[in-house]
Amino acid sequence: MAAIREAEDRADVVIVGAGASGAAVAWRLAEAGVNVLVLERGGWHAPAEAASTRDDWEWVLQTERHPDPAIRRAAEDIPVTADDSPIRPAFYCGVGGSTLRWGAHFPRFHPSDFKTRTLDGVGRDWPISYDDLAPYYDLNDTIMGVSGLAGDPANPPRATRPMGPFPLSDGMERLAAAFDRLGWHWWPADGAISRDADPLTGRGACNNCGPCGLGCPQKARASTDITYWPRALAKGVRLRTGALVRKIVCDRDGRATAVDWQDGTRHHRTHCDTVVLAANGMGTPRLMLASTCPSHPNGIGNANGGVGKHLMHHPTAIVAGLFDAPTGLPKGPFACALYSQEFYETDTARGASRGYQMQGLRPQGPLATALGGYAKRLPWGADHHGAFERTFGHDVSLTVTVEDLPRADNRVTLDPTHTDDAGVPAARLTYALGQNERTLLKHGIARAREALLEAGAAQVAVTPLSRQAGFHFLGTAAMGTDATAITDPTGNVNGCPGLVVVDGSLFPSAGGVNPTPTLQANALRIADHLLAHHHASLTVAA
Amino acid sequence: MSDRLAIVLDRLIPGDPERGWPTPSAIDLAAKARALADGRGEPTLLDAIAARLPDGFEAMPEADQVAALSHLEAGDGEAFGRLIHYAYGAYYIDPAVRRTVEVRTGYPARPPQPQGYTLPPFDEALLETVKTRPPFWRPVPKR
Repeated sequence: MAAIREAEDRADVVIVGAGASGAAVAWRLAEAGVNVLVLERGGWHAPAEAASTRDDWEWVLQTERHPDPAIRRAAEDIPVTADDSPIRPAFYCGVGGSTLRWGAHFPRFHPSDFKTRTLDGVGRDWPISYDDLAPYYDLNDTIMGVSGLAGDPANPPRATRPMGPFPLSDGMERLAAAFDRLGWHWWPADGAISRDADPLTGRGACNNCGPCGLGCPQKARASTDITYWPRALAKGVRLRTGALVRKIVCDRDGRATAVDWQDGTRHHRTHCDTVVLAANGMGTPRLMLASTCPSHPNGIGNANGGVGKHLMHHPTAIVAGLFDAPTGLPKGPFACALYSQEFYETDTARGASRGYQMQGLRPQGPLATALGGYAKRLPWGADHHGAFERTFGHDVSLTVTVEDLPRADNRVTLDPTHTDDAGVPAARLTYALGQNERTLLKHGIARAREALLEAGAAQVAVTPLSRQAGFHFLGTAAMGTDATAITDPTGNVNGCPGLVVVDGSLFPSAGGVNPTPTLQANALRIADHLLAHHHASLTVAA
Repeated sequence: MSDRLAIVLDRLIPGDPERGWPTPSAIDLAAKARALADGRGEPTLLDAIAARLPDGFEAMPEADQVAALSHLEAGDGEAFGRLIHYAYGAYYIDPAVRRTVEVRTGYPARPPQPQGYTLPPFDEALLETVKTRPPFWRPVPKR
């Protein structure tokens, strides 16, 4: 039965997705007076209601707050099938998107990450440089609130962070000393976590509790619901939660002119000058592929069949060291301790291009430790309690996160056997590790093992490829200037005027570190381009 | 009638009175594990897995019960993993067990929030060695 539209309205810009990039763009445009409507399929998650205040907080972390939608089973999630991928998807839907569930580790890309084809003959160059993003990185830092320390020799110089880094645990100090003895780089991690309270924004100071992924009652750990969103709403952005997008509507010339969406059973069409896709590197190509029409019979921007291709994650190994002596209890931001970028830049002697970061992880709680934590599940039976006491608070772990090169076979397609309530097919992830990633992982695992043994670990356990590490969906609607690009360098979808992508889909290459600061900076850059070239003459909202 | 799941849990997590670890049966873990499974929409899962153990399991000597569980684990690791998930889940969020964790390790039994923990400053002296290193990030030639 044909859908019945019950309501029609208009905005200058409709943004799909209220997460890391969508919130940033909404704020930037609204600051300039643009009339913005944001559609978010999830809802609000009040920081004060975070489960870290509950006795069963560890169970919540394993279930309803799990990053894997198949475990979390939330009704608002983007439906996804990943049977053809060794890496499970990990994301969150709601006002704040996946920043609601993250560890707020906040590194920047290196200049070389933007020019992998030029420098190393692999991947795809970005049509912009690190220098183009630098001012937007800085702007984003001021909104998100960053703790860290300037002076890292592995990264270009940048401004002093307003707040200092987080302390290391006993185990992390041992690891840092081991890196020193090995002659390897390490540095305290940047975190989008406030060490100091800010009365102006209502954000409190971190109290070192640990499970940042549950949300932060102190509002110290950044998520865009407490950073960008208060500012955006104050500037008049309209936000609709529980809003499932049905289709991007295009006219006979192929131009995006409206968005069809629904909340519950009520259907809406919002007309606009510009549609901005900020639904992440899985959700954005899903909507582009699903929005077929006579002008775009294969999906929007998909005339060359490229939408959804070149999916990049950050393949991750976890190497856990078990120490005879205590290494510290699970306190402090779990993802923000230290990192080593000793092996980040290309060294062809490794037999691979590009590189990886090693990141220290603080210990997990009692339940997570018993269930395996970053190592193996504790044995059941007679030795269970002994194993717990030998393991809990006696471990130090390193992730090895490698750059993922873009390959056309790794992709997001549609799974028509499974739809959401709006009738939009599920995303299907098809992914396999390439040889370059395998070589980097092998090298990194060996180096992480070396570091942990140097630090005094009595045993080392290796997870060669973390299954639950599909946090980053990148490259599925990449920007560029060549024939394979889906958008131009400022996110305008080729062949579809009026449609702009701003999220991680745009990444031509993935770097070897967490992408959120980069995708937010890039989104702010594109927002400024929109203001300069498309919305400069708009009437400022009353 | 004996509760097979309760016996199963006592074999999985035997408890250690000397060190303060309660046995599952002492804290009615079977009911708590069933409640967790029910909350996840799997109200019959745990008893269904336990039902796959041999007839007469309840009356077996403990060593034979352990052997039966090992056989189940070897034959269907996925189902056994789900059993362990709920068993450990219910055990390690139990207040009595969390008190033991605190006594044995020092990790407070209370939730992490709202109290949190002391946040000391970062010790910048730790960076003495790495600060002597010159920049080594790879520059990109300007065009």
